[in-house]
Amino acid sequence: MKQVDCEDVKRNVHEFLHSELHEDQLEVITAHIANCDSCEEHYDIEIVFNQVIQRSCDEAPAEELAERVMKRLREIQDHD
Amino acid sequence: MPAKRSEKLVSFESQALPLMPQLYGAALRWTRNPSDAEDLVQETFAKAFGAWDKYQQGTNLKAWLFRIMTNTHINLYNKRNKDQAKTALDDLEDWQVGSGESITARTVRSAEAEAMDNLPATIIREALDQIPDEFRMVVYYAVVEGLPYAEIAEIMETPVGTVMSRLHRGKKMLRTLLQDYARQEGYELDGEEAES
Repeated sequence: MKQVDCEDVKRNVHEFLHSELHEDQLEVITAHIANCDSCEEHYDIEIVFNQVIQRSCDEAPAEELAERVMKRLREIQDHD
Repeated sequence: MPAKRSEKLVSFESQALPLMPQLYGAALRWTRNPSDAEDLVQETFAKAFGAWDKYQQGTNLKAWLFRIMTNTHINLYNKRNKDQAKTALDDLEDWQVGSGESITARTVRSAEAEAMDNLPATIIREALDQIPDEFRMVVYYAVVEGLPYAEIAEIMETPVGTVMSRLHRGKKMLRTLLQDYARQEGYELDGEEAES
């Protein structure tokens, strides 16, 4: 992967953000983003998007759930 | 409270139970409601406890539990047939999966980022829950749990290439849904002003 265009760079946004790129790809893409406003924006919005998803999924279980689970596990244990 | 806890229960309790918040988060995405999510978490722990002897100490416990959850969910809801129909989505061409890219090509992206940032969490969750299970769970594991593709592939029992394409498509579907919602709420995403 020597030469990349904007389309290549944008297509690899998820692999970039999730650290799934090979070192040589990472190098080429990082260099491209540094010089391309359009691609940089594309990456920025994907980062915001990920943060928004993370935030929205931050829901804790009810406290009783731990008790329910332990009760169930004890039943299984007593069955053994 | 029964006094006796076997060694097995003690070790399971100390290692697996602290992962309950992560399991609950994933269960909520599988089931899309809190009460079914609690059932799924309980069943997953019950199955995992039964198989605790087979868990290899030192290997990735969270991934092991997530994989049990995948199977438990499929069995609990007997969804296998439905799922097979849904995976037909994997075969669709990109242009058939929403219009995410063509829209964003002429989007003022900072405006879109701002709009997204202002969307309420309930709207994001509703949008997530609208995309097919396999896509939603890959997005969840990658974005929220930050798991590597290879691990997600094991959890979902699919090839890594499928994880990759489901992440891409899942995010695209999600983004299209959220763009539609943001527009309804009066956000201007198309950058008309910039063009005139």
